[in-house]
Amino acid sequence: MKPEIEVRNLNFYYTGNIHVLKNINMTVYKNRVTALIGPSGCGKTTLLRCFNRMHDLYAGNKYEGEIIFQGRNILSKETDLIELRSKIGMVFQKPTPFPMSIFENIAYGLKLKGIKNKSELKDRVETALKDAALWDEVKDKLYSSAFGLSGGQQQRLCIARALAVEPEIILFDEPTSALDPISTAKIEELIVSLKERITIIIVTHNMQQAARISNWTGFMMLGELIEYDRTEKIFTVPSNKLTEEYVTGRFG
Amino acid sequence: MKRRKIVSSIALFISCLTALWGIFWLFFIIFDVLRHGISAINFDLFFKDPAPPGQPGGGLRNAFVGHILITLCATLIGVPIGILGGTFLAEYGRKYKISKFISNLADIMVSIPAIIVGAFIYSVIVKPLGHFSGWAGGVALGIIMIPTVLRTTENMLSLIPWTLREAAFALGAPYYKVIIQIVYRGASTGILTGVILAIARVTGEAAPLLFTAFNNAFFSINMNEPMASLTVTIFQYAMGPYEEWHTQAWGASFMITVFILFTTILGRILIRRRYKF
Repeated sequence: MKPEIEVRNLNFYYTGNIHVLKNINMTVYKNRVTALIGPSGCGKTTLLRCFNRMHDLYAGNKYEGEIIFQGRNILSKETDLIELRSKIGMVFQKPTPFPMSIFENIAYGLKLKGIKNKSELKDRVETALKDAALWDEVKDKLYSSAFGLSGGQQQRLCIARALAVEPEIILFDEPTSALDPISTAKIEELIVSLKERITIIIVTHNMQQAARISNWTGFMMLGELIEYDRTEKIFTVPSNKLTEEYVTGRFG
Repeated sequence: MKRRKIVSSIALFISCLTALWGIFWLFFIIFDVLRHGISAINFDLFFKDPAPPGQPGGGLRNAFVGHILITLCATLIGVPIGILGGTFLAEYGRKYKISKFISNLADIMVSIPAIIVGAFIYSVIVKPLGHFSGWAGGVALGIIMIPTVLRTTENMLSLIPWTLREAAFALGAPYYKVIIQIVYRGASTGILTGVILAIARVTGEAAPLLFTAFNNAFFSINMNEPMASLTVTIFQYAMGPYEEWHTQAWGASFMITVFILFTTILGRILIRRRYKF
């Protein structure tokens, strides 16, 4: 098991010095699915958004500590955010198709990377859609608007879009909370199959989902990482009392 | 119980009556313009220049061409500044307090009397240069367009959800590409609507042109000279003593009314289409 990301003494403050992440330490392993669970407002999405520096879009946010990825601290000022984000992709809670065709949606990230060759674009769009198990459903309407797809299809389109640029890691922020059970099952299956190639970090409200698809689970509460261990251990013999109470459904 | 019902029907009656009163005048004006104007529409109106005063014949080619040139010039000034300014307010400048202030100022500017803008341009362009010109008219109308385009752009851009921008950022897109390729694309219909409505608004202005482009009885495409426009021509011809002039003023009014009606309706249709996706 190779470590992919090392989080060391991470603290995070929102505008106005609101301390939301407190001294987080964890190791994310390569080619594994890592789940972050915890009650609402515990900081799991905030932590996820540190990995691609999404917080930088809004003024006044502040990081402390280190997140080591590929031998470098990504929280340092010198980090090239454009390069970082092309290596660490993200899929959001609500599907976020761009106002353009299905094909252009996938090609967008590729064009950003400077790929202009038409036949190469076509091949890579096809591969990405196949990887996201969406190809068969959309191959006849590649050039129609992405808004015409169902919610589940839109979400898989977003996964395909993230996959197309061949990232090392994809961050999933509650990717199935807006979807029906069948779409949810498809996306879970997809996530499990993707870990052969990439590393996945997923935030979820749904404990069963974390248990089903993840290898490692972190339980967070009030901005602290209470326990971080292998998923079997978290759900069967957690070391911490709070974790046990949460996973057995006594609060949250 | 009974009393309430009576009061309610009286209120309903009065509000219907006032609405009808307003609509009546609106349709009366449009109908009157159409009725008088349509008979004045002929080939000569568009393709001949004015005949000497009092003589029959001639047309308003100079005014049509002048009007188009001035409006074009105004659009070229007002639209880019309005769109870029609106983009600053909604995107780059959203964290600054001054943005809110500029935005409020633009709201006030939207309803500023057009004649004040005309007088302003008179003092900063016409007076120093020493003569009226088509450019001055274009600049005046352009200034009137800016706040409308700016506010519409700002509003339309802020309607685009932040999650969409975040999705583009998450793929490694720089901010300017996010704006141009994602945000503008989502807001394009809305912005276009704002531009169309702004053009429709300035097309009907006469006051700011009186001080700036003034008028020209001869055909001219030199923007450095005084330039004829439909609205100023209407003003002059309607006040004039000749029957021929009155007819032509009706014809010009007809054309402007039809143009504004058409563009406004087009704008409304586009607004409705926007909310479909």
